[in-house]
Amino acid sequence: MDLIIDLKKTPFYDIHLKLGAKMVDFAGFSMPVQYESIIKEHEAVRSKAGIFDVSHMGEFLLEGSDVIDFLQYIMINDLKLLEQSKGQYSCMCYENGTVVDDLVYYEEANDRFRMIVNAGNIEKDFQWLNEHIRGKDVKITNLSSKRSRLAFQGPKSDEYLQPLVDIDLSVINRFYFAHCKLGGMPIFIARTGYTGERGFEISFDNEYAVKIWSELIKAGASPAGLGARDSLRLEATYSLYGHEINDSITPVEAGLFWLVKPKEGVDYIGKNVLLKQKTEGTDRIIVGLNLKDRGIIRDGFKIIKNGNEIGYVTSGGYSPTLKKTIGLGLIKKQFKEEGTEIEIEVRNKLLKGVVVSTPFYRNV
Amino acid sequence: MVNIIEHEFPSELKYLQTHEWVRIQDNIATVGITDFAQHQLGDIVYVELPEIGMAFDKGSNVAEIESVKAVGELIMPLSGKILEVNTDLADNPESVNSSPYGSGWMVKIELSNKNEINELLSVEAYQEIVEAEKA
Repeated sequence: MDLIIDLKKTPFYDIHLKLGAKMVDFAGFSMPVQYESIIKEHEAVRSKAGIFDVSHMGEFLLEGSDVIDFLQYIMINDLKLLEQSKGQYSCMCYENGTVVDDLVYYEEANDRFRMIVNAGNIEKDFQWLNEHIRGKDVKITNLSSKRSRLAFQGPKSDEYLQPLVDIDLSVINRFYFAHCKLGGMPIFIARTGYTGERGFEISFDNEYAVKIWSELIKAGASPAGLGARDSLRLEATYSLYGHEINDSITPVEAGLFWLVKPKEGVDYIGKNVLLKQKTEGTDRIIVGLNLKDRGIIRDGFKIIKNGNEIGYVTSGGYSPTLKKTIGLGLIKKQFKEEGTEIEIEVRNKLLKGVVVSTPFYRNV
Repeated sequence: MVNIIEHEFPSELKYLQTHEWVRIQDNIATVGITDFAQHQLGDIVYVELPEIGMAFDKGSNVAEIESVKAVGELIMPLSGKILEVNTDLADNPESVNSSPYGSGWMVKIELSNKNEINELLSVEAYQEIVEAEKA
Protein backbone atom coordinates (compact mmCIF):
# COMPACT_ATOMS: atom_id res chain seq x y z
CA MET A 1 0.00 0.00 0.00
CA ASP A 2 1.43 3.35 -0.99
CA LEU A 3 0.54 5.61 1.93
CA ILE A 4 1.88 8.72 0.19
CA ILE A 5 -1.04 8.81 -2.26
CA ASP A 6 -3.46 9.52 0.58
CA LEU A 7 -1.40 12.21 2.28
CA LYS A 8 -1.35 15.90 1.48
CA LYS A 9 1.88 17.42 0.23
CA THR A 10 3.40 20.82 0.89
CA PRO A 11 5.06 22.75 -1.96
CA PHE A 12 8.42 21.52 -0.59
CA TYR A 13 7.57 17.81 -0.91
CA ASP A 14 9.80 17.14 -3.92
CA ILE A 15 12.68 18.96 -2.24
CA HIS A 16 12.33 16.74 0.83
CA LEU A 17 12.40 13.59 -1.29
CA LYS A 18 15.39 14.78 -3.27
CA LEU A 19 17.25 15.38 -0.01
CA GLY A 20 16.50 11.81 1.05
CA ALA A 21 14.22 12.80 3.93
CA LYS A 22 12.45 10.14 5.98
CA MET A 23 8.79 11.08 5.45
CA VAL A 24 5.97 10.49 7.94
CA ASP A 25 2.27 11.22 8.21
CA PHE A 26 1.78 14.32 10.31
CA ALA A 27 -1.75 15.71 10.53
CA GLY A 28 -2.54 14.14 7.18
CA PHE A 29 0.53 15.62 5.46
CA SER A 30 3.60 13.77 4.23
CA MET A 31 6.29 15.59 6.22
CA PRO A 32 10.04 15.13 6.72
CA VAL A 33 10.88 13.80 10.19
CA GLN A 34 14.60 13.99 9.41
CA TYR A 35 16.96 14.46 6.47
CA GLU A 36 20.14 12.92 7.78
CA SER A 37 20.01 12.88 11.56
CA ILE A 38 17.65 14.45 14.08
CA ILE A 39 20.57 15.19 16.39
CA LYS A 40 22.69 16.82 13.66
CA GLU A 41 19.74 18.96 12.54
CA HIS A 42 19.01 19.95 16.15
CA GLU A 43 22.68 20.92 16.66
CA ALA A 44 22.72 22.92 13.41
CA VAL A 45 19.79 25.02 14.68
CA ARG A 46 21.51 25.61 18.03
CA SER A 47 24.83 26.58 16.40
CA LYS A 48 23.96 28.18 13.05
CA ALA A 49 20.52 28.15 11.41
CA GLY A 50 18.02 25.60 10.20
CA ILE A 51 14.94 25.80 8.02
CA PHE A 52 11.76 23.89 8.73
CA ASP A 53 8.90 23.32 6.33
CA VAL A 54 5.86 24.23 8.43
CA SER A 55 3.46 24.63 5.51
CA HIS A 56 1.19 22.02 7.02
CA MET A 57 0.18 24.54 9.69
CA GLY A 58 -2.96 26.62 9.30
CA GLU A 59 -3.16 30.28 8.32
CA PHE A 60 -6.33 32.36 8.60
CA LEU A 61 -7.07 35.98 7.80
CA LEU A 62 -9.64 37.68 10.06
CA GLU A 63 -11.12 40.92 8.73
CA GLY A 64 -13.85 43.29 9.86
CA SER A 65 -14.56 46.13 12.24
CA ASP A 66 -15.38 43.73 15.11
CA VAL A 67 -12.27 41.53 14.89
CA ILE A 68 -10.66 42.83 18.09
CA ASP A 69 -13.88 42.48 20.13
CA PHE A 70 -14.33 39.01 18.64
CA LEU A 71 -10.80 37.91 19.55
CA GLN A 72 -11.13 39.36 23.05
CA TYR A 73 -14.07 37.00 23.56
CA ILE A 74 -12.38 33.94 22.02
CA MET A 75 -8.83 34.34 23.37
CA ILE A 76 -7.62 34.14 26.97
CA ASN A 77 -4.80 36.63 26.35
CA ASP A 78 -5.51 40.37 26.26
CA LEU A 79 -5.45 42.17 22.93
CA LYS A 80 -5.07 45.47 24.79
CA LEU A 81 -1.43 44.39 25.14
CA LEU A 82 -1.15 44.05 21.37
CA GLU A 83 -0.41 46.75 18.79
CA GLN A 84 -0.13 47.01 15.05
CA SER A 85 2.84 45.06 13.63
CA LYS A 86 2.96 42.83 16.70
CA GLY A 87 1.91 39.24 17.32
CA GLN A 88 0.52 37.59 20.43
CA TYR A 89 0.61 33.98 21.61
CA SER A 90 -2.60 32.70 23.18
CA CYS A 91 -4.85 29.75 23.77
CA MET A 92 -8.49 29.63 22.87
CA CYS A 93 -10.40 27.59 25.42
CA TYR A 94 -13.67 25.80 26.02
CA GLU A 95 -16.03 26.93 28.81
CA ASN A 96 -14.37 24.44 31.15
CA GLY A 97 -10.97 26.05 30.54
CA THR A 98 -9.45 23.20 28.54
CA VAL A 99 -7.77 24.10 25.25
CA VAL A 100 -9.18 24.24 21.73
CA ASP A 101 -5.74 25.22 20.34
CA ASP A 102 -2.69 27.35 21.04
CA LEU A 103 -1.79 29.82 18.33
CA VAL A 104 -0.32 33.19 17.41
CA TYR A 105 -2.23 36.08 15.83
CA TYR A 106 -0.67 39.16 14.28
CA GLU A 107 -2.30 42.61 14.20
CA GLU A 108 -1.85 43.93 10.67
CA ALA A 109 -4.51 46.60 11.25
CA ASN A 110 -7.27 46.93 13.83
CA ASP A 111 -9.62 45.30 11.33
CA ARG A 112 -7.19 42.77 9.88
CA PHE A 113 -5.43 39.93 11.74
CA ARG A 114 -3.34 37.00 10.51
CA MET A 115 -3.55 33.83 12.60
CA ILE A 116 -1.28 30.75 12.53
CA VAL A 117 -2.74 27.54 14.03
CA ASN A 118 -1.61 23.94 14.55
CA ALA A 119 -1.77 21.61 11.56
CA GLY A 120 -3.89 19.03 13.37
CA ASN A 121 -6.50 21.61 14.38
CA ILE A 122 -7.10 23.59 11.16
CA GLU A 123 -10.66 22.39 10.52
CA LYS A 124 -11.61 22.39 14.21
CA ASP A 125 -10.27 25.94 14.72
CA PHE A 126 -11.91 27.32 11.58
CA GLN A 127 -15.24 25.91 12.69
CA TRP A 128 -14.80 27.10 16.30
CA LEU A 129 -14.02 30.64 15.18
CA ASN A 130 -16.89 30.79 12.68
CA GLU A 131 -19.40 29.39 15.19
CA HIS A 132 -18.67 32.28 17.52
CA ILE A 133 -18.99 35.17 15.06
CA ARG A 134 -22.71 35.44 15.84
CA GLY A 135 -23.56 38.52 13.87
CA LYS A 136 -20.34 40.44 14.51
CA ASP A 137 -18.59 42.08 11.57
CA VAL A 138 -15.90 39.42 11.16
CA LYS A 139 -14.94 37.50 8.03
CA ILE A 140 -12.49 34.59 8.24
CA THR A 141 -10.57 33.34 5.21
CA ASN A 142 -8.65 30.06 5.33
CA LEU A 143 -5.33 30.61 3.54
CA SER A 144 -3.75 27.37 4.77
CA SER A 145 -3.42 25.64 1.41
CA LYS A 146 -2.74 28.84 -0.55
CA ARG A 147 0.36 29.89 1.32
CA SER A 148 3.59 28.17 2.37
CA ARG A 149 5.39 28.58 5.65
CA LEU A 150 9.00 28.17 6.74
CA ALA A 151 10.61 28.57 10.15
CA PHE A 152 14.16 29.93 9.96
CA GLN A 153 15.80 29.49 13.36
CA GLY A 154 19.25 29.74 14.90
CA PRO A 155 21.83 32.20 16.30
CA LYS A 156 22.96 33.05 12.75
CA SER A 157 19.47 33.55 11.33
CA ASP A 158 19.69 37.37 11.34
CA GLU A 159 23.14 37.28 9.75
CA TYR A 160 22.07 34.86 7.01
CA LEU A 161 18.74 36.49 6.27
CA GLN A 162 19.65 40.19 6.27
CA PRO A 163 21.36 40.24 2.84
CA LEU A 164 18.28 38.65 1.28
CA VAL A 165 15.61 41.07 2.51
CA ASP A 166 14.84 44.72 1.75
CA ILE A 167 14.22 45.82 5.37
CA ASP A 168 16.42 46.24 8.44
CA LEU A 169 15.74 43.10 10.47
CA SER A 170 17.29 44.59 13.62
CA VAL A 171 14.28 46.89 14.05
CA ILE A 172 11.90 43.93 14.27
CA ASN A 173 11.81 43.01 17.95
CA ARG A 174 10.65 39.67 19.29
CA PHE A 175 7.02 38.98 18.39
CA TYR A 176 6.91 41.87 15.90
CA PHE A 177 6.43 41.29 12.19
CA ALA A 178 6.68 43.00 8.80
CA HIS A 179 5.77 42.58 5.16
CA CYS A 180 8.85 42.83 2.96
CA LYS A 181 10.65 41.24 0.00
CA LEU A 182 13.01 38.29 0.13
CA GLY A 183 15.00 38.03 -3.09
CA GLY A 184 12.34 40.27 -4.62
CA MET A 185 9.48 38.00 -3.51
CA PRO A 186 6.79 39.30 -1.08
CA ILE A 187 6.81 37.65 2.35
CA PHE A 188 5.27 38.03 5.79
CA ILE A 189 8.05 37.73 8.37
CA ALA A 190 7.68 37.54 12.15
CA ARG A 191 10.38 37.31 14.80
CA THR A 192 8.77 34.33 16.49
CA GLY A 193 9.74 30.71 16.86
CA TYR A 194 9.36 27.37 18.52
CA THR A 195 12.99 26.35 19.05
CA GLY A 196 14.30 28.53 21.89
CA GLU A 197 16.74 30.24 19.48
CA ARG A 198 16.52 33.62 17.77
CA GLY A 199 14.79 33.29 14.45
CA PHE A 200 11.89 34.03 12.18
CA GLU A 201 8.74 32.47 10.82
CA ILE A 202 7.82 33.45 7.31
CA SER A 203 4.81 32.90 5.08
CA PHE A 204 4.35 33.58 1.39
CA ASP A 205 2.27 32.51 -1.59
CA ASN A 206 2.92 28.96 -2.81
CA GLU A 207 4.38 30.12 -6.14
CA TYR A 208 7.52 31.44 -4.35
CA ALA A 209 8.11 28.38 -2.20
CA VAL A 210 10.87 26.58 -4.10
CA LYS A 211 12.80 29.78 -4.86
CA ILE A 212 12.67 31.02 -1.28
CA TRP A 213 13.88 27.65 0.05
CA SER A 214 16.77 27.75 -2.37
CA GLU A 215 17.73 31.31 -1.33
CA LEU A 216 17.74 30.34 2.36
CA ILE A 217 19.88 27.24 1.73
CA LYS A 218 22.36 29.30 -0.30
CA ALA A 219 22.52 31.77 2.58
CA GLY A 220 23.81 28.98 4.86
CA ALA A 221 20.79 27.40 6.54
CA SER A 222 20.43 23.64 6.67
CA PRO A 223 17.16 21.69 6.34
CA ALA A 224 15.71 20.48 9.63
CA GLY A 225 12.80 18.09 10.05
CA LEU A 226 9.96 17.58 12.50
CA GLY A 227 12.08 15.31 14.70
CA ALA A 228 14.49 18.16 15.42
CA ARG A 229 11.56 20.59 15.74
CA ASP A 230 10.23 18.43 18.56
CA SER A 231 13.55 17.96 20.39
CA LEU A 232 14.25 21.70 20.12
CA ARG A 233 10.86 22.77 21.49
CA LEU A 234 11.10 20.21 24.29
CA GLU A 235 14.47 21.64 25.41
CA ALA A 236 12.93 25.12 25.25
CA THR A 237 9.90 23.75 27.12
CA TYR A 238 7.25 25.00 24.71
CA SER A 239 3.89 23.26 24.92
CA LEU A 240 2.79 20.95 22.15
CA TYR A 241 -0.96 20.67 21.53
CA GLY A 242 -2.11 17.15 22.24
CA HIS A 243 0.59 16.77 24.89
CA GLU A 244 0.91 19.61 27.45
CA ILE A 245 -2.39 21.19 26.40
CA ASN A 246 -5.47 19.55 24.93
CA ASP A 247 -9.19 19.29 25.50
CA SER A 248 -8.65 17.85 28.98
CA ILE A 249 -5.77 20.04 30.22
CA THR A 250 -6.09 23.78 30.95
CA PRO A 251 -3.40 26.40 30.30
CA VAL A 252 -3.02 26.90 34.08
CA GLU A 253 -2.36 23.18 34.60
CA ALA A 254 0.14 23.38 31.74
CA GLY A 255 2.06 26.19 33.43
CA LEU A 256 0.77 28.82 30.97
CA PHE A 257 -0.98 30.71 33.78
CA TRP A 258 0.55 33.96 32.47
CA LEU A 259 -1.63 33.69 29.36
CA VAL A 260 -4.77 33.90 31.48
CA LYS A 261 -5.51 37.61 31.72
CA PRO A 262 -8.03 39.35 34.02
CA LYS A 263 -9.49 41.40 31.12
CA GLU A 264 -11.80 43.32 33.42
CA GLY A 265 -15.15 44.16 31.94
CA VAL A 266 -14.54 41.75 29.07
CA ASP A 267 -16.08 38.31 29.06
CA TYR A 268 -14.14 35.50 27.39
CA ILE A 269 -14.76 31.77 26.99
CA GLY A 270 -13.33 29.95 30.00
CA LYS A 271 -12.72 33.16 32.02
CA ASN A 272 -14.37 32.08 35.28
CA VAL A 273 -12.76 28.65 35.44
CA LEU A 274 -9.32 29.91 34.43
CA LEU A 275 -9.18 32.93 36.75
CA LYS A 276 -10.27 30.68 39.61
CA GLN A 277 -7.50 28.19 38.74
CA LYS A 278 -5.02 31.02 38.58
CA THR A 279 -5.85 32.28 42.07
CA GLU A 280 -6.58 28.96 43.80
CA GLY A 281 -4.17 26.69 41.94
CA THR A 282 -4.94 23.38 40.25
CA ASP A 283 -4.85 19.77 41.44
CA ARG A 284 -2.36 18.84 38.74
CA ILE A 285 0.50 20.70 37.10
CA ILE A 286 3.08 20.16 34.35
CA VAL A 287 6.67 19.80 35.61
CA GLY A 288 10.09 19.06 34.14
CA LEU A 289 11.60 15.58 34.56
CA ASN A 290 15.04 14.02 34.53
CA LEU A 291 16.08 10.42 35.10
CA LYS A 292 18.63 9.33 37.66
CA ASP A 293 18.78 5.77 36.33
CA ARG A 294 19.84 5.24 32.71
CA GLY A 295 17.16 5.20 30.06
CA ILE A 296 14.93 7.44 27.94
CA ILE A 297 11.74 9.18 29.10
CA ARG A 298 8.94 8.84 26.55
CA ASP A 299 5.36 10.13 26.12
CA GLY A 300 2.72 8.29 28.08
CA PHE A 301 4.99 6.64 30.68
CA LYS A 302 3.40 6.54 34.14
CA ILE A 303 4.92 8.57 36.98
CA ILE A 304 4.94 6.74 40.31
CA LYS A 305 5.57 7.86 43.92
CA ASN A 306 5.58 5.41 46.81
CA GLY A 307 3.83 2.78 44.74
CA ASN A 308 1.04 5.12 43.59
CA GLU A 309 0.48 6.54 40.13
CA ILE A 310 0.75 10.34 40.48
CA GLY A 311 0.76 11.34 36.84
CA TYR A 312 2.14 10.62 33.36
CA VAL A 313 4.74 11.88 30.90
CA THR A 314 3.25 14.37 28.40
CA SER A 315 6.44 14.69 26.34
CA GLY A 316 9.76 12.87 26.60
CA GLY A 317 12.91 12.38 24.63
CA TYR A 318 16.62 12.97 24.31
CA SER A 319 18.21 16.40 24.67
CA PRO A 320 21.23 16.74 22.33
CA THR A 321 22.22 19.99 24.08
CA LEU A 322 22.16 18.57 27.61
CA LYS A 323 23.17 15.10 26.39
CA LYS A 324 20.59 13.35 28.50
CA THR A 325 16.94 12.41 28.55
CA ILE A 326 14.39 15.10 29.47
CA GLY A 327 10.64 15.16 29.78
CA LEU A 328 7.54 17.00 30.88
CA GLY A 329 4.84 15.35 32.95
CA LEU A 330 1.42 16.16 34.37
CA ILE A 331 1.49 15.27 38.06
CA LYS A 332 -0.47 15.84 41.26
CA LYS A 333 0.47 19.24 42.62
CA GLN A 334 1.79 18.03 45.97
CA PHE A 335 4.80 16.55 44.16
CA LYS A 336 5.68 19.55 42.00
CA GLU A 337 8.65 20.88 43.99
CA GLU A 338 12.01 20.82 42.26
CA GLY A 339 14.05 17.90 43.59
CA THR A 340 11.06 15.67 44.39
CA GLU A 341 12.11 12.09 43.76
CA ILE A 342 9.75 10.07 41.61
CA GLU A 343 9.82 6.93 39.53
CA ILE A 344 8.97 6.58 35.86
CA GLU A 345 7.59 3.31 34.52
CA VAL A 346 9.67 2.56 31.43
CA ARG A 347 8.10 -0.48 29.78
CA ASN A 348 8.51 -3.19 32.46
CA LYS A 349 10.87 -1.32 34.82
CA LEU A 350 10.62 1.48 37.34
CA LEU A 351 13.43 3.98 36.79
CA LYS A 352 14.39 6.59 39.39
CA GLY A 353 13.73 10.15 38.33
CA VAL A 354 13.39 13.65 39.73
CA VAL A 355 11.29 16.78 39.22
CA VAL A 356 13.41 19.59 37.78
CA SER A 357 12.85 23.24 36.96
CA THR A 358 12.25 24.41 33.42
CA PRO A 359 12.95 25.62 30.80
CA PHE A 360 15.75 23.16 30.04
CA TYR A 361 17.24 25.63 27.53
CA ARG A 362 16.52 29.10 26.10
CA ASN A 363 18.63 31.38 23.90
CA VAL A 364 16.16 33.87 22.53
CA MET B 1 10.99 9.17 -6.90
CA VAL B 2 12.50 8.19 -3.59
CA ASN B 3 16.22 8.54 -2.98
CA ILE B 4 17.73 5.03 -2.97
CA ILE B 5 20.06 4.54 -0.02
CA GLU B 6 23.01 2.20 -0.47
CA HIS B 7 23.44 0.09 2.65
CA GLU B 8 26.58 -1.80 3.56
CA PHE B 9 26.42 -5.55 4.35
CA PRO B 10 29.83 -7.20 4.84
CA SER B 11 29.90 -10.55 3.06
CA GLU B 12 31.88 -12.40 5.73
CA LEU B 13 29.09 -11.94 8.29
CA LYS B 14 25.92 -13.92 8.89
CA TYR B 15 22.54 -12.28 9.37
CA LEU B 16 19.09 -12.58 10.93
CA GLN B 17 15.90 -11.41 9.25
CA THR B 18 15.36 -9.21 12.33
CA HIS B 19 18.42 -7.22 11.16
CA GLU B 20 21.16 -8.48 13.45
CA TRP B 21 24.61 -9.41 12.10
CA VAL B 22 26.87 -12.12 13.55
CA ARG B 23 30.66 -12.56 13.34
CA ILE B 24 31.72 -16.06 14.36
CA GLN B 25 35.21 -16.94 15.56
CA ASP B 26 35.50 -20.54 16.92
CA ASN B 27 32.98 -20.68 19.75
CA ILE B 28 32.43 -16.94 20.12
CA ALA B 29 29.88 -14.84 18.26
CA THR B 30 29.91 -11.03 18.12
CA VAL B 31 26.50 -9.47 17.49
CA GLY B 32 25.21 -6.07 16.46
CA ILE B 33 22.52 -4.48 14.26
CA THR B 34 22.94 -3.94 10.53
CA ASP B 35 23.38 -0.71 8.59
CA PHE B 36 19.76 -1.03 7.47
CA ALA B 37 18.53 -1.33 11.08
CA GLN B 38 20.54 1.68 12.33
CA HIS B 39 19.19 3.74 9.46
CA GLN B 40 15.61 2.69 10.21
CA LEU B 41 15.99 3.53 13.90
CA GLY B 42 17.76 6.85 13.43
CA ASP B 43 20.13 8.49 15.95
CA ILE B 44 20.80 5.93 18.72
CA VAL B 45 20.81 7.62 22.13
CA TYR B 46 20.89 4.71 24.58
CA VAL B 47 21.56 0.98 24.54
CA GLU B 48 20.51 -1.24 27.45
CA LEU B 49 22.88 -4.22 27.39
CA PRO B 50 22.47 -7.55 29.26
CA GLU B 51 24.52 -8.64 32.24
CA ILE B 52 27.65 -10.67 31.64
CA GLY B 53 27.15 -14.34 32.45
CA MET B 54 23.45 -14.46 31.60
CA ALA B 55 22.34 -17.27 29.31
CA PHE B 56 19.75 -16.78 26.57
CA ASP B 57 18.12 -18.98 23.96
CA LYS B 58 18.23 -18.08 20.29
CA GLY B 59 15.33 -15.74 19.57
CA SER B 60 15.15 -13.98 22.94
CA ASN B 61 15.41 -10.19 23.40
CA VAL B 62 18.76 -9.37 24.97
CA ALA B 63 19.16 -5.64 24.53
CA GLU B 64 17.03 -2.55 24.04
CA ILE B 65 18.24 -0.03 21.50
CA GLU B 66 16.72 3.41 21.93
CA SER B 67 16.81 6.04 19.20
CA VAL B 68 15.40 9.55 19.35
CA LYS B 69 12.07 8.39 17.98
CA ALA B 70 11.91 4.61 18.49
CA VAL B 71 12.92 1.56 20.51
CA GLY B 72 14.37 -1.54 18.88
CA GLU B 73 15.35 -4.92 20.31
CA LEU B 74 18.46 -7.00 19.82
CA ILE B 75 17.46 -10.64 19.23
CA MET B 76 19.90 -13.42 20.14
CA PRO B 77 20.90 -15.02 16.83
CA LEU B 78 22.32 -18.08 18.59
CA SER B 79 21.90 -19.65 22.02
CA GLY B 80 24.64 -19.04 24.56
CA LYS B 81 26.06 -17.08 27.46
CA ILE B 82 26.95 -13.37 27.42
CA LEU B 83 30.77 -13.12 27.60
CA GLU B 84 31.25 -9.44 27.00
CA VAL B 85 29.18 -6.32 26.25
CA ASN B 86 30.30 -3.12 24.53
CA THR B 87 30.58 -0.72 27.46
CA ASP B 88 31.72 2.10 25.10
CA LEU B 89 28.10 2.41 23.97
CA ALA B 90 27.24 4.01 27.31
CA ASP B 91 29.16 7.16 26.33
CA ASN B 92 29.06 6.75 22.58
CA PRO B 93 25.72 5.24 21.52
CA GLU B 94 26.12 7.01 18.16
CA SER B 95 28.78 4.41 17.21
CA VAL B 96 25.88 2.12 16.38
CA ASN B 97 24.95 4.57 13.60
CA SER B 98 28.44 5.45 12.39
CA SER B 99 30.05 2.00 12.69
CA PRO B 100 27.35 -0.67 13.08
CA TYR B 101 29.76 -3.55 12.26
CA GLY B 102 32.79 -2.14 14.08
CA SER B 103 32.78 0.03 17.21
CA GLY B 104 28.97 -0.26 17.32
CA TRP B 105 29.05 -3.99 18.21
CA MET B 106 26.80 -4.91 21.12
CA VAL B 107 27.43 -8.34 22.71
CA LYS B 108 29.83 -11.29 22.52
CA ILE B 109 28.32 -14.73 23.14
CA GLU B 110 29.88 -18.06 24.07
CA LEU B 111 27.86 -20.45 21.90
CA SER B 112 26.06 -23.43 23.41
CA ASN B 113 24.80 -24.99 20.17
CA LYS B 114 26.97 -24.49 17.09
CA ASN B 115 24.42 -26.31 14.91
CA GLU B 116 22.27 -23.18 15.05
CA ILE B 117 24.84 -21.42 12.83
CA ASN B 118 23.32 -23.22 9.83
CA GLU B 119 20.04 -21.40 10.40
CA LEU B 120 21.63 -17.97 9.94
CA LEU B 121 21.24 -16.06 6.69
CA SER B 122 24.00 -15.44 4.16
CA VAL B 123 24.56 -11.87 3.04
CA GLU B 124 22.67 -12.58 -0.22
CA ALA B 125 19.62 -13.95 1.58
CA TYR B 126 19.64 -11.01 3.98
CA GLN B 127 19.97 -8.51 1.14
CA GLU B 128 16.83 -9.97 -0.44
CA ILE B 129 14.94 -9.45 2.80
CA VAL B 130 16.07 -5.83 2.96
CA GLU B 131 15.02 -5.21 -0.66
CA ALA B 132 11.60 -6.66 0.11
CA GLU B 133 11.22 -4.41 3.16
CA LYS B 134 12.21 -1.32 1.23
CA ALA B 135 9.70 -1.99 -1.58
